[in-house]
Amino acid sequence: MSLIFRLAGQRCNSQFLKNSNGLISCIRPVTLKATNVSPPSKEGHDERNMKLKRPQSPHLTIYAPQLTSLLSISHRATGIVLSGYAIGLGLGAIVLPESIPHYIDCLHEMGPAAVSFVKFSLSFPMAYHFWNGIRHLIWDTGKMLTIPQVYTTGYIMLAVTFATAGFLTVM
Amino acid sequence: MSREAQLFKLCRGSFGQVRSIHRASTSQAAAVQAKEKPVKNKVFSIYRWNPDKSDQKPYMQEYNVDLNACGPMVLDALIKIKNEIDPTLTFRRSCREGICGSCAMNIGGVNTLACISKIDTSGKSTKIYPLPHMYVVKDLVPDMNNFYNQYKSIEPWLQRKDDTVKKNTEYLQSVEDRQKLDGLYECILCACCSTSCPSYWWNGDKYLGPAVLMQAYRWIIDSRDEATTKRLDKMRDPFSAFRCHTIMNCTRTCPKGLNPGRAIAEIKKLLGGVAKKEEPHLKAVA
Repeated sequence: MSLIFRLAGQRCNSQFLKNSNGLISCIRPVTLKATNVSPPSKEGHDERNMKLKRPQSPHLTIYAPQLTSLLSISHRATGIVLSGYAIGLGLGAIVLPESIPHYIDCLHEMGPAAVSFVKFSLSFPMAYHFWNGIRHLIWDTGKMLTIPQVYTTGYIMLAVTFATAGFLTVM
Repeated sequence: MSREAQLFKLCRGSFGQVRSIHRASTSQAAAVQAKEKPVKNKVFSIYRWNPDKSDQKPYMQEYNVDLNACGPMVLDALIKIKNEIDPTLTFRRSCREGICGSCAMNIGGVNTLACISKIDTSGKSTKIYPLPHMYVVKDLVPDMNNFYNQYKSIEPWLQRKDDTVKKNTEYLQSVEDRQKLDGLYECILCACCSTSCPSYWWNGDKYLGPAVLMQAYRWIIDSRDEATTKRLDKMRDPFSAFRCHTIMNCTRTCPKGLNPGRAIAEIKKLLGGVAKKEEPHLKAVA
């Protein structure tokens, strides 16, 4: 193979040299001018992109809903609801004119459906946050972190949560 | 064998190859077959934004592609669109086999590599966006600078205390120690995982993100690396690693089937003092 290349190279070269006009026309004067090097800009990533008016690609609105992210955001939501309950009920006990048994009696007057609803909305966030919290604790030990395991524990956690919340509701 | 005979054998092989390529490209049979197949249209709805018209808002543009005259992967469709319908459509691609990570984008709501993601033939239109929550350079091309700078910040190279000593031999590692790197070193830094992570969306400036953290872990547990404490100390703040809330979108989306979520959990264990890096089974310097 190298023999072929060498032969081909020699032929091309000799032709190129013979044609002296061609060689001269290949040369063109070039002048070099020295300029100071500008230091690299210390512009931040956001600054630079905003200056260029680049848009931010869509995220939350276009990402497919998945069990992973949905269970995560629900964990946060139930956490917020639980703190809301703690603060709301605590403040309520201080601020409201009547005592708590009075309001429970009011609720009973509204019928069994209302009682169940309130019981469920109190018990569900607690049950969810508790069981998913345990799932998080298992994760923090570095276990159950493959996707099949994440999905299995997710479904188990949901089942146990609904069972617990249902049990607390009918209790 | 004499030189001439060798040369002849070589040439014969390459001529045969050239002929077969030539035959394939002009194959009548293939063309007829393609014609006989019915047109099977598929709509791709693709995110567009042109920096030359930066005042114009990003919009979705629909393209019709005949799946019977197109390769099986989303990247094939994108290339077909660019070649035959709209040459202004801009996207990154290179290897077309899932090893370079260039064509990472959000396809059908999930981050993946266009080259190894099959076209959904169910008849519904497929939506294609750039990687989520990134600045868009053009169409499907995001600005990856922040991501690369974060990767740089974890100093992704072997660090030894005996670096100054000139050495002519390799650093030794036992088979078991080497196995710890499996599932970590294969990462191609396509940023699919990082840009699927809501924590990274909201704190991408300070939180390193799954891809970079997994690479940090890869160097932390390398038995030959001696900068473990330095590497971990760099992450001892509320943001670098601890913005991970184990959402697990990262592992769910990784086109290479790796598990960044678990790597971060291991980093957290090391940072929390729950776990310790094992002593190397084999001294790196014999």
